[in-house]
Amino acid sequence: MATRTFEFTPGPNIDALKDDPVHGELMHLNLGPQHPATHGVLRLSVDLDGETMHNVVPDVGYLHRGKEKTCESLGWAKFFPHTDRLDYVQPLMNNIGYALALEKLAGLEVPQRGQEIRVLLMELSRIAAHLIYLGTTAIDLGAVTMFFNTFKEREKVYTILDAYTGHRMNNTYVRIGGVFADVDDTLEGMMREFLEQFRAEIDSFESLLTGNRIWHDRNRGVGTVSRSDALAWALSGPNLRGSGEPYDLRKAQPYSGYEDYAFEVPVGTVGDCYDRYLIRVEEMRQSVTIALQALDRLHKSRGGEILIEDRRYVLPPKHKVHTSMEELIFQFKIVTDMCLPRGEAYHGIESSKGELGFFVASDGTRTPLRCHIRAPGLYNVQAIPLLAEGRLFSDMVAIIGSLDFVMGEVDR
Amino acid sequence: MVIVKRKELSLRERLYLPEVVRALSFTFRALFKRKITRQYPEEGLPVTEVTRGQPRLTLLEDGENLACVSCGLCEAACPAYAITIDGQETDRFIEREPERFEIDMLRCILCGFCEEACPKDAIFMSDELELADFTREALIYDIDKLKRPKAALQKRIDYFYKVNDRWRKPSSTS
Ligand code: SF4
Ligand code: SF4
Repeated sequence: MATRTFEFTPGPNIDALKDDPVHGELMHLNLGPQHPATHGVLRLSVDLDGETMHNVVPDVGYLHRGKEKTCESLGWAKFFPHTDRLDYVQPLMNNIGYALALEKLAGLEVPQRGQEIRVLLMELSRIAAHLIYLGTTAIDLGAVTMFFNTFKEREKVYTILDAYTGHRMNNTYVRIGGVFADVDDTLEGMMREFLEQFRAEIDSFESLLTGNRIWHDRNRGVGTVSRSDALAWALSGPNLRGSGEPYDLRKAQPYSGYEDYAFEVPVGTVGDCYDRYLIRVEEMRQSVTIALQALDRLHKSRGGEILIEDRRYVLPPKHKVHTSMEELIFQFKIVTDMCLPRGEAYHGIESSKGELGFFVASDGTRTPLRCHIRAPGLYNVQAIPLLAEGRLFSDMVAIIGSLDFVMGEVDR
Repeated sequence: MVIVKRKELSLRERLYLPEVVRALSFTFRALFKRKITRQYPEEGLPVTEVTRGQPRLTLLEDGENLACVSCGLCEAACPAYAITIDGQETDRFIEREPERFEIDMLRCILCGFCEEACPKDAIFMSDELELADFTREALIYDIDKLKRPKAALQKRIDYFYKVNDRWRKPSSTS
């Protein structure tokens, strides 16, 4: 693959076109950072020749809050609420990704039921995140009905999460070694009811878009990325699978017991926006299957433990804190001085955007030596020039939408 | 692995107009469905004991003194540095009480870590969610604004203890 250089102005294309009477002048255009179609605060610097884009340069960092450094100063457990705010359309997924990295570092094994609840939460988050993708991409391309319908469904997911965690967003319900609360019968019922009616809703979304001529015209053959390019540009998740590479971390490096669930990994053939759309829709169907399997397991494992019993990392129950001096001391120790062993760990999970990885290094103290977040969104943003250059400007919206990133995670 | 099927447009779909009619019928059907929008300030979201609203301090049964002993654990657990505590000695049987206990509601992210950390059942998440005022200072809540009778938080306390039931076995690592 040819190496690419990014320059703001004047780019190489300008020189090539300088003496051309028709294409002589390129217009420099800043798209964003406040453009709604950029799904956050992404700035794109584009040179336009008529309608054709040259020199597309994404400029990230407008939402930079220093999350990695925050983690390094806050300490292990206190970073959980901050992970919610990375990819804020799927807070629980980020929680779990971070928790898995810490558990790997500490060598902890989450109890069976805790893992089942985590799988359930991850799949519900994936559904919510893909619904946002579908709604926002469709409204950017003019399909307003889709936006309302997907948000209606997403609202149901959030109502379930609200009933479980007490918050609609920013849930913070995962702890080192498990999850905070158990899923009871009422919740199980709510989830089952939602999942069962959701299949029909996916079909109705598809009936509106998959065979829609405008959707076809704006998505097919737009933003095509070949399999080798997708791999070279470190795309992951639906963007990689759209190009035909069946790489899914849930299958490739199973975690939280994903190897025991029966599901399929959808892959595309062409690698354009349309393929990525089809894949996300199919992934929602697969998520429903996984979530239903997880619910069945939860039904069987009732009364099981959801959090490990390890007084180095997990707070003792309240009633014991009141009665036992030993536990009171642990309570104080864990809150003020929880240390993870020396070493480093990386754990990647398949989030709705791709491989979401947390790398943590510890020198055995209260705070991480280093916390790095491999945000899939950043790699998706990075691929925008590859997909957009040489295409018409109106395709940009479709490309941005179909790459599906959230700036909270890209800028961290 | 499944390969997603790319749909080719049928004649009817390529003609476009029949599809517009079909899609519009989808839209019009929504007119007769149950409305799902909520008129927010008048019609709030249902709050239950699970709802994590703003943290509040509980009073002891006597209804006067705070349960808090100003141990500072909630302050240490708070990821947003929202809590400020100054403790003092007192003649009461609990021996210590906060002289100043402030939660900066503008900083608080309603995570519930303070509730989890407190060893004295002195701070719990209430179902109070709305937060608006004209100055920043007014949103730094002091003891007077934070204290609530235990009965007002009882549902949350019960729920919290129920959740804590998760530990069934005695401690294995100590
Ligand atoms: S943890 Fe509880 S007892 Fe300690 S200072 Fe906070 S509210 Fe008071
Ligand atoms: S809820 Fe969280 S942010 Fe708010 S005061 Fe308690 S610990 Fe701090």
